[in-house]
Amino acid sequence: MISFEQVSKKYHDKNALVNTNFHLQRGTMAFLTGHSGAGKSTLLKLIMLMERPTSGKVIVDRQDLSQLSRSQVPAHRRKIGLVFQNHQLLMDYSVFDNVALPLKISGYNDRDSGRRVRAALDKVGLLDKERLSPQTLSSGEQQRIGIARAIVNKPKLILADEPTGNLDPELSAEIMRLFQQFNQVGVSVLIASHDLDLIQRLPHPVLQLNQGKMSGSPSLMGH
Amino acid sequence: MAFFKRRPAHNASRSQPESSSTRWLREHKEVATNSWLRLWKTPISNLLTWLTLAIALALPAALLLLLSQAQHLGQQVNQSSHISVFLTLGTSDEQGQLMTTELTSRPDIVKATYVSAQQALVDFKISSGLDDILASLTDNPLPATILIEPINSALSPGNIEKLTEKLRQKDHVDQVLVDMAWLDRLQALLATSQRFTYGLALLLALGVLLVVGNTVRLQIESRKQEILVIKLVGGTDAYLRRPFLYAGFWAGFFAALIAWAILQLGVIYLHQPLLSLAQSYQSDWQLQSLSLMESFMLVMTSCGLSVLGASLTVGQQLRLIEPQ
Repeated sequence: MISFEQVSKKYHDKNALVNTNFHLQRGTMAFLTGHSGAGKSTLLKLIMLMERPTSGKVIVDRQDLSQLSRSQVPAHRRKIGLVFQNHQLLMDYSVFDNVALPLKISGYNDRDSGRRVRAALDKVGLLDKERLSPQTLSSGEQQRIGIARAIVNKPKLILADEPTGNLDPELSAEIMRLFQQFNQVGVSVLIASHDLDLIQRLPHPVLQLNQGKMSGSPSLMGH
Repeated sequence: MAFFKRRPAHNASRSQPESSSTRWLREHKEVATNSWLRLWKTPISNLLTWLTLAIALALPAALLLLLSQAQHLGQQVNQSSHISVFLTLGTSDEQGQLMTTELTSRPDIVKATYVSAQQALVDFKISSGLDDILASLTDNPLPATILIEPINSALSPGNIEKLTEKLRQKDHVDQVLVDMAWLDRLQALLATSQRFTYGLALLLALGVLLVVGNTVRLQIESRKQEILVIKLVGGTDAYLRRPFLYAGFWAGFFAALIAWAILQLGVIYLHQPLLSLAQSYQSDWQLQSLSLMESFMLVMTSCGLSVLGASLTVGQQLRLIEPQ
């Protein structure tokens, strides 16, 4: 699903990623870990085309990203469900409208998008909150809305950047269970996290970044 | 997990397959409605923007209106102008009559009227009231005159010049007077005002572009978070641009309505003094309010300029907002 071939990224004189190689098989769920500043965010940004690599090749879903022009970036991003640590919810939108945003962008009509949004909200257990403002919800609930928004388009790949960063262990485990459920139906999931306690309790491969260098198991097979 | 199953039945379960043009129309209708609703969230600041735009539009529009109608007036006055041919003293009435008949037959003259020296004196007595003084004169000091009304096409400055030159060269002609000097001045004044108005209109159009651009820039700034999230979930530039273009459209539309109202009020306000002015020149000219076509042009110009102003700003501003 994701391949990095000799990928390096430099910001000015600072190396964020150095000759990184890894391969995430289709349908795999894996963790990406490392200290803050180890390059986790950079790696995710390269996959989302928020950044371009200084050298090397990034391939997502058989597509060499270096061949995508600026105008092709939105279509690439629509294929990926993205979950953020700080949710990135729009507080002046209702819960429903937040989740519906990716569908609206893809041009779904109200009827189809309504059905999909409710299915996604049902999946994260927040169907009864669709009319509320995200502001009135707890941090864990906000994160689940962020997840509903990431899956509403039925992406083949979900990227999550510290999705449990602000949550207590119980809520974190609940969020991870959600990701595992998506993975069980064939969705590839890559989760950047430094919550080592949680990661070690889960049976998924781990990619370790240390000062921009990859260690651990660079080729991750499905399970 | 049923949610992620890609059911082949899914497409079939859609209400109807939507053609791309239907989708395009639906999306535009949605954005137009949403941007309309958004207007009323900040009515005061929007109203101030519209007023600014309306003033920038109303000023050149008022001048253009006044100008086009004044030119019309100028043509009217032009059409009623005469050439006075003063004959040399001592020219007999027969010679004068003969000349008049000859002139009437010319193709560039509609009408020629002979006014004898006697008649001129009588007219002058009546209009001046100087009976006693005039009675004391032994000779009639006034010449006989032929009043000529040229055809319309002969009234352009060049043609009238040729005609007067021909008249001057005739026998018994002492002087040819065309009361065109003030008309020339009027035309020159109108031409100057026209250029001034066009220049002003150009500058104020630029002003409209800048005001709308600035408004859109502020709107983009206040919706930065939304734009970032939309970019992250894969919103295209066209999708992001659309609401701001519609916001520009609405601003132009309301500004045009306000400018129209300002112009109507202006016409009503100026009606009386302009009527008196026109009457003092024996004209029944009146300042007309905007015609239906002119009103339409005003709305189109305003909307067009505003959308242009928005689109010039929005693309450049959206590029500045990229997820980090």
